[in-house]
Amino acid sequence: MLTLLAKLFKALNSETSPWALAMAMVLGMFLGLTPLWRVHNLVILLGALIFRVNLTLFLLSFGLFSGIAYLLDPMFHDFGLAILQASSWQGIYEAAYATAVGRVSQFYHTITMGSFVFSLLISPVVAVVTYFVVNNYRKRIQKALLKLKVVQMLRGSRFWQLYTDLRG
Amino acid sequence: MATVHGFTGVVMKRSVIRWPGLAVFGGIVALIVIVSWLFLDAILKVSMEYGLGRVNGAEVNIARVEHEWSPLTLRAYGVQATDAAKPTHNQVQLESFSADISAAELLLGRIHIEQLDVLGVRVDQPREQGEGEVYVTPSKDDVKNWASANWEQLKVSLPSTDEIVQQVGLQTDQVLADAEQKIEQQRTQFNDAKAALPDKEKIAAYQQQIKEITEGDVEGLGDVAARKKKLDQLKDAIREDKAAIERFRAQLSESAEIVKTQIARVKDAPGNDIDRIQNFFQLNETGLQNVTGLLLGDRARQWSEYLLLAYEQLAPMLARSANSQTVEKARGAGESLSFVEADAPPEFWIKNARTEVLIAGTAVNIDWQNITHQHNLLGQPTTYQARVDNSDLWNAFNLDGELSLLESGIDAKQQWQLKGANLKSLGLSESDELTASIASALLDSDGTVLVRGNQLDGEAIIRMLDLEMLAQGSSKITNAIAAALKQLNRLDINTEIAGDILSPSLSLNLNSDLDQQLGKLLGDTAMAEAQGKLNEIRADLTAKVEQQLGPNTELLQNITQLNSQAGDFNQQLEELLKSKIEDNLKDKLKDRLFGNS
Repeated sequence: MLTLLAKLFKALNSETSPWALAMAMVLGMFLGLTPLWRVHNLVILLGALIFRVNLTLFLLSFGLFSGIAYLLDPMFHDFGLAILQASSWQGIYEAAYATAVGRVSQFYHTITMGSFVFSLLISPVVAVVTYFVVNNYRKRIQKALLKLKVVQMLRGSRFWQLYTDLRG
Repeated sequence: MATVHGFTGVVMKRSVIRWPGLAVFGGIVALIVIVSWLFLDAILKVSMEYGLGRVNGAEVNIARVEHEWSPLTLRAYGVQATDAAKPTHNQVQLESFSADISAAELLLGRIHIEQLDVLGVRVDQPREQGEGEVYVTPSKDDVKNWASANWEQLKVSLPSTDEIVQQVGLQTDQVLADAEQKIEQQRTQFNDAKAALPDKEKIAAYQQQIKEITEGDVEGLGDVAARKKKLDQLKDAIREDKAAIERFRAQLSESAEIVKTQIARVKDAPGNDIDRIQNFFQLNETGLQNVTGLLLGDRARQWSEYLLLAYEQLAPMLARSANSQTVEKARGAGESLSFVEADAPPEFWIKNARTEVLIAGTAVNIDWQNITHQHNLLGQPTTYQARVDNSDLWNAFNLDGELSLLESGIDAKQQWQLKGANLKSLGLSESDELTASIASALLDSDGTVLVRGNQLDGEAIIRMLDLEMLAQGSSKITNAIAAALKQLNRLDINTEIAGDILSPSLSLNLNSDLDQQLGKLLGDTAMAEAQGKLNEIRADLTAKVEQQLGPNTELLQNITQLNSQAGDFNQQLEELLKSKIEDNLKDKLKDRLFGNS
């Protein structure tokens, strides 16, 4: 865990693009909020691995949003049910249901549909917020933090050792 | 999305693609495939236990699952489905099943099984591994509605004579008191009327006066007129007395009638009381509860679970799989909706199945066609047939039926005939109160069952011929029942089957003439025991009645006697009224005028 945090700080303090970190956050959010054993998560994983996305933030985001998903499951069910019962979409659902891809995607599952659409809707917000936080961290918080006595004490700790090892 | 990274003063623009990531992804996918491949049987086992458990409403255990890729075949061994209403037992268990699955349809998300073979089906078996977990607890209303739960609840008991006497409330004393009061009233009226009656002296005086008026010397016409006037006055007095006598006689008749009635009531009172006590000993069907249900209920339920296998096991599972509302949702499990088109094949379809059901060691094969929960897509019902002739257990057995899951619910029909089933040493009751078993019997049964909109309605007749029963009770009542059971040599039982097919169980009502037979026999037994006490009661009541009857009978005799006497007086007065003064006077005057005197 300490290693993971150290890696996170390394990423935050590095010159990695804030948008790349935001992308990692969003992809991790998809993986965390939607049921894990779904084909679309393979695509998410492929995207996270193949594109130069920060894997540390991706994994932390996955962990964080998995916990949130547990709390939101009932809401995802209701949301997905409402989407899947929308009368104007029935024709499309029926057509998709008749295909192997449709079946494998499990779009007809309420929590899968609800959490996926929810993730889609909030991904721009999550991306922008992540970008804003990273930018502000780098501009303001990083310097202020370094001046704090607590941080100075931390710099003499094992955590800082790990951090610097990673950095080196 | 380029990343700029400073390194010894050289600025290098890195590619957005991280090619080693592709290799890692490939590795992860390969790992998932390998793990799935290696542990597919275990994954299938857990998935099937979970899925079937949700549909069953209670824990499902599978000992082992095997698969073959070509042809795609799935085999499972030791499948046990817990009974949600009785978690200590399996609702159904099977030794193994083998399913030939269509791979092409599976790729399109449909489970089409060309042939399903199910071996060693048993129902209502105790769970060896202990109580199973229940996911959907059946409501109290769903639990089988047996006539009685056990012998201990048999409320009827043979009453003691004292209890009965207390409950009956003997009426002889009351009758005696009523009669006494009424007769006493008549006695008073009788005495009053008697006091107002003219006595013998008064009648003799009337006779003397009439004689004086109509006899003796006549002084002339004036004297005749005076005598006539006197006679008329006398007759008026006689008429008043005659009217009094007639009223008295009417009163006597009324009193006699009342006294007679009361005497009759008093005489009948002890007999009526004894009759009422005896009636109290006759136990009716309600008092006995349903001994047929008590005795044969468990066994009939067991038989029905085999006969109604399609309804009790398959139909509820199909219906639950078709309707997610009937399966309790696990948190976070979500719900899979079906968007199948109207002309698409069913998503789950077992084209042919053979189930080998084990009944007392005999295998009965039931052939099934078109098992699905989407009969509207298939356009055909699920059908099943079984025919076993000349088996060790019976001469002939036929069963056929069909069922469909429609929007309105389950529609189904089934009929069966069983001829010459040999029952030997069949335990019926092993309770502390009563042990009973059928030593031997020949059983015939036929019945029909209809299901419309999930509501099941059926009836069956069970005939037991050449019946020989062994029974022993541990109390007065169960001993009497045991004695009655041992006398039975034929028993016809009408069975009514009803209930909601989606509930975990159905209700059975059993009726036969056994209850009436037992009621009569128990009544006779109780009466025999109570006879001595009844004789005492009868003697006691009769003595009381005799004591009162003596004076009353005497009163009745007096009334009768006096009535007769009053009749004589009435006659005499009537005669007196006929007396005429004119004739005597004429004679006297003639004598005087013509010198005859």
